[in-house]
Amino acid sequence: MATRVNLDLHDELKAFGGKDLDLCYNCGTCTAVCSLADEGSAFPRRIMHLIQVGATERLKHSVEPWLCYYCGDCSAQCPRGANPGEAMMATRRHLISRYDWTGLSRRLYLSNAWNITAVLLVMLSVVGLFAFLHGPVVLDHVALNTFAPVHWIELGDLVMGGVLSFFLLTNAARMATWILGDVGMPAIPISAFVRAIPEFVVNFATQKRWRRCGTAQGEAKQNRRWLTHLILVSGYLTMFVLIVFFLKWFQTDAVYPIYNPQRWIGYYAAAALLYGTVVFAIGRWRKRDEIDKFSAGTDWMFLILLFLTTLTGLLVNFFRLAGWPLATYSVYVLHLAIDAAWLIVQVPFGKWSHFLYRPFALYLVKVRELAEKAAAADAEEAPAAA
Amino acid sequence: MSDDTPTPRRIGVFICHCGGNISDYVDVEQVRQAVAGEAEVVTAKTTMFACSDAAQQEMTEAITQDNLDGIVVASCSPKLHLFTFRAMADRAGLNPYRYVQANIREQCSWAHRGEMPAATAKATAIVRAAVARAEASEPLATMRIETQPRALVLGAGVAGLRAALALADMGLTVTIAERAQRPGGWAATFGRTFARDRSGAEMVEELLRRVHEHEHITLFTGAELIEKSGSVGDFTAVLRVANGDTVTLNVGAIVVATGFQDYQPTVGEFGWGLPDVVTLPQYKRMLDAGQGLHRADGRPVKTVTFLYCVGSRQGEEVERPNRYCSRYCCTAACHAGIVSAEQAPGLHQVHLFRDMRTYGKYELLYEEAQRAGAVFLRWDPEEPPVVASDAGGLTVRVKDRLLGGEELEIPTDLLVLVTGMVPRENATLLNALKLPLGGDGFFNEIHPKLRPVETVANGVFIAGTAQGPKTIAESVASSLAAVSKTAALLLKGYVDLEPFVAEVDEERCTWCGKCLDACPYKAIEKVAVAGKEVARIIPALCKGCGGCALPCAENAIDVKGYTDEQVLGMIDALLEEAAE
Ligand SMILES: Cc1cc2nc3c(=O)[nH]c(=O)nc-3n(C[C@H](O)[C@H](O)[C@H](O)COP(=O)(O)OP(=O)(O)OC[C@H]3O[C@@H](n4cnc5c(N)ncnc54)[C@H](O)[C@@H]3O)c2cc1C
Ligand code: SF4
Ligand code: SF4
Repeated sequence: MATRVNLDLHDELKAFGGKDLDLCYNCGTCTAVCSLADEGSAFPRRIMHLIQVGATERLKHSVEPWLCYYCGDCSAQCPRGANPGEAMMATRRHLISRYDWTGLSRRLYLSNAWNITAVLLVMLSVVGLFAFLHGPVVLDHVALNTFAPVHWIELGDLVMGGVLSFFLLTNAARMATWILGDVGMPAIPISAFVRAIPEFVVNFATQKRWRRCGTAQGEAKQNRRWLTHLILVSGYLTMFVLIVFFLKWFQTDAVYPIYNPQRWIGYYAAAALLYGTVVFAIGRWRKRDEIDKFSAGTDWMFLILLFLTTLTGLLVNFFRLAGWPLATYSVYVLHLAIDAAWLIVQVPFGKWSHFLYRPFALYLVKVRELAEKAAAADAEEAPAAA
Repeated sequence: MSDDTPTPRRIGVFICHCGGNISDYVDVEQVRQAVAGEAEVVTAKTTMFACSDAAQQEMTEAITQDNLDGIVVASCSPKLHLFTFRAMADRAGLNPYRYVQANIREQCSWAHRGEMPAATAKATAIVRAAVARAEASEPLATMRIETQPRALVLGAGVAGLRAALALADMGLTVTIAERAQRPGGWAATFGRTFARDRSGAEMVEELLRRVHEHEHITLFTGAELIEKSGSVGDFTAVLRVANGDTVTLNVGAIVVATGFQDYQPTVGEFGWGLPDVVTLPQYKRMLDAGQGLHRADGRPVKTVTFLYCVGSRQGEEVERPNRYCSRYCCTAACHAGIVSAEQAPGLHQVHLFRDMRTYGKYELLYEEAQRAGAVFLRWDPEEPPVVASDAGGLTVRVKDRLLGGEELEIPTDLLVLVTGMVPRENATLLNALKLPLGGDGFFNEIHPKLRPVETVANGVFIAGTAQGPKTIAESVASSLAAVSKTAALLLKGYVDLEPFVAEVDEERCTWCGKCLDACPYKAIEKVAVAGKEVARIIPALCKGCGGCALPCAENAIDVKGYTDEQVLGMIDALLEEAAE
């Protein structure tokens, strides 16, 4: 089966951020220095090559971009300055936009105007909703649950969660069929899907593969980055659980004593989120490490909105404790507006999705591995039976 | 000529180890002992490196102390050290033509490794033959010839024009003969050229302006060399010029700058013959025309594919393969890619190369082409690209080595065959110059490193792509090298020639005239000596080929340095060895 080349592909990837990839002359240095590439997956050179020759279909089926954690060793060593690390990043953006069947993701990635417009639209809608539907405004004390009754908010959460999950999961399903549908893939027994689940859970929770990435730069540095990210994720997940499963307990007008878990769990999550976003933003600002050298508009949007969501959340809490009703209500509306914008724009269509796609890719690799093992075992048995 | 010296000759023999190159395979001591016993051998020695200063010093001392009148050095090929040892003999006061070199390295030790006894016997025979030749040697003197301060340049491409200007600037009178009606060669047809984007046409225009203005240069177009006679420093050249007339010139040297031709693919070779398949020269003309790129059916070209190494670096798949790399084409194709991207922004380009040979600073052009969006893909000569055409247009299929040999299908609007350089068709010239060609069909230099512009014909130099593929810069560099050799020859005013010419024994000669017919160089004339008609050799014209000696029934002709006595003596020595 011949691959029909699509010479628009490298321009497309350049638009997604891989601007120097044309310079690659396929020497393979990047693959040689990559501490994650192994016999089974010779990236990033292979990906560079697929992009250059316009092997659109091959690229669509590739899992490798998700196996790269962007330490940037390859970019640092590339004799051509082709920035293979950034090309891998661009490929992830490109893939996210291809998994997304609505086409929205593509527009958000390729245009800052779309991005900002989308964020403002969502924010305005949230503010608009509150303008018409908010509860009574109590001014002599803080009564947030009267202004925004928690069961309504919870319902909103669920509706939004349901819609976003729908998009995200359908996209992930496309990802799975493409990756598992690559040429030479053996038939996959159901058991493989089940037995690979721990791979997903462990990687989702720990991103442990990342710790093997970039060992050339010194383990300490790479570990620090991984740890910062882990803290950010822990904060995020904690907040997520609080809001989705314990909103009634979390959003309350009662003031709990400081040693109550409701207080310190919330503070931990907020602190972790602020710390993570600030550290990463400073990195991107300074551009010292390879990974920080290039930032797409969406990368900034991701960090800024997450930071602002957390900040406004904290402010709501402080105003409430301070007993300032109007400040509490208005910042609360702002908080929800930013949060909704961040979630809607980033979860199924943007950078947030890597949260799911990365461990999911490792899960799919595991599935493939198990299927291959099963096929090999079958092949061994077959002639014996004959 | 026979030598009536009654006293026996005093020959010295020096046998070289060549630091093991010889002595590892030949027992040099045994050779020494074998020849030491020869009647006229006064001294026989071995030495580690005969060419070293110390060994040469030792040999000069032996020549004077032992009063030697002939020497043999048994060592490497005379191509390497003939002149070294001749000079050594000269320093010691021995006539240099009484020195004989015996080649026991290339012709013995290197050829017979691991066969020491046989190799030693062969070496002994070679040395004995050399001794026999030295015994019959006579003192000879070089011939001095006055040179004409005029040069003939063949071809008015960049190489020829540049050579003519430089020679004329040194005060020599120059005639340029250009076969075509229009001077300038290839470069005159080019717009932007690498490496600096200068227009080839403008460059040639500038050269031509200076040529026309120069009082010492005459340029003939539509002109060809049809005959050449005479010898280095003093040639007679006959040109056939545009109106069919002939012009006869007397020149001291000839510079051959007749250039190259572009390779013409055979029908079917990489799709040649299909619509929208062009060669690089054709594509360059499309670019230079600046009318945009269009397919045969008039549609604009959105994708162009370059296929490198067409007609170069061929293997057994063709009957008479061009094995060489054409040098210019990788860079020219990258450069064409850059120009294309400027002229047609958004144009897709695929470059199917074998090895990227944008050597030296041309590497930057490769990078620039990449930046301009050209995609480079390597093809394997084992599985060359296949070109097909259907209603939709052209498709090139190529195996991608980096994808495990997966086949890529490249739809393309235009396919450019990056054709190499081949020698120009030049039968008349070859006939007139009698120059041997190299295996690749280009003119051949004597030594690729040390004598890059001289040919086996003394006074005939080669310049530019007539010698093999080159860029403009390289063509000009080689043409200036030819200029310096030409000027060194002609400005000195004379040239010393080797004395190995034929000689007539006037007593024996009966003037039958057979030698006159046999001489290809018109070096024989009839003269009257003491009332008798005899043949006489004109030494300046004689090449010492010996063609006249053969038909002479009276055995009246001998070639100096290779007399019958010498050659027969060598044969006897070899037979004697074989009989032992
Ligand atoms: C498509 C293409 C693109 C190129 N682009 C570049 C570039 O961008 N930069 C670069 O540096 N080089 C380039 N080159 C190489 C460049 O063309 C050559 O290096 C240069 O033209 C060689 O000059 P020349 O004088 O040796 O030979 P030529 O240009 O071939 O000139 C030889 C002349 O001798 C004449 N002649 C032939 N036989 C006889 C005869 N018997 N008697 C009298 N005259 C005779 C011919 O008519 C001709 O005029 C390119 C070549 C090609 C084919
Ligand atoms: S990206 Fe750089 S290091 Fe990797 S193959 Fe290309 S040129 Fe080599
Ligand atoms: S210069 Fe390049 S295209 Fe030309 S023959 Fe050599 S390798 Fe082939």
